[in-house]
Amino acid sequence: MNTRLLMMLRVKVGTPQNLGAVPLGTRRTAPLSGGSFEGARLRGTVVAGGSADWQVLRSDGVLEMDLRVTLQTDDGALISMRSFGLRHGPPEVIAAIGRGESVDPAAYYFRTTPRFVTAHPAYAFLNRIVAVATGDRRPEGPIYTVHEVL
Amino acid sequence: MQSRSLMVLRLSTTAIEEIGATPHGRLSIFPIIGGSFDGERLRGRVLAGGGDWVTAMADGTIELDLRATLQTDDGALIHLTFTGVRDDANNYFRTLPRFETASPKYAFLNRLLAVGIGEIRPDGPIHSIEEIL
Repeated sequence: MNTRLLMMLRVKVGTPQNLGAVPLGTRRTAPLSGGSFEGARLRGTVVAGGSADWQVLRSDGVLEMDLRVTLQTDDGALISMRSFGLRHGPPEVIAAIGRGESVDPAAYYFRTTPRFVTAHPAYAFLNRIVAVATGDRRPEGPIYTVHEVL
Repeated sequence: MQSRSLMVLRLSTTAIEEIGATPHGRLSIFPIIGGSFDGERLRGRVLAGGGDWVTAMADGTIELDLRATLQTDDGALIHLTFTGVRDDANNYFRTLPRFETASPKYAFLNRLLAVGIGEIRPDGPIHSIEEIL
């Protein structure tokens, strides 16, 4: 599989909403309070309003993530990104992340699959690709290294 | 990105059901009647009954939404779904498969994300699916 770096996306997580035990697992919604992204072809900021990560901790210990982010480029385009992801790892590593500690991202699996839609012609190439990302859960919020699948 | 080959998936489809121009685009359904998959860690056949819901978008791209049931050669059932994009103008056909199974032997599939590289052959589509490491 050939990929090319698309951007680094840093998001800031606000106060999580712990919905608790739902039929699928333990549901938590993490609204985003901001963030930024930077790559050779696009850069800008995360729009806080409609951006959040809808998470379900499954019975097998895997965290499913449904991240929806509105990106605003430095030249004013709005890009909607949706990204399904999985996070899991050794219990002690996941516990350390839960305590807000910085953990080596190689110690656990945190991968997502972003797709994009935009109406802006300069970024229309994003409508035509799929992407994969590696995540690094930092205390202030995750950093995603997003790669275009070529 | 690091990846590792998971399987090559071959699908057989039957007569297309043309739903036509919907508010989202031109929708066609490709019912799956069979197929096979083969990889180092799993192999078997595709059961009849799934399908690919294919929408031709206004920008010329084709959006895929597939569901299929895989049966391994040792009897496990695996639920496969993917979305993806086909952009013939740029020779681009990529998918994002996900798997669900209750089989302990294949439970690793529940914990991975994958990328598929698609190709249209005369006898049906082929997807080379790689696990994202």
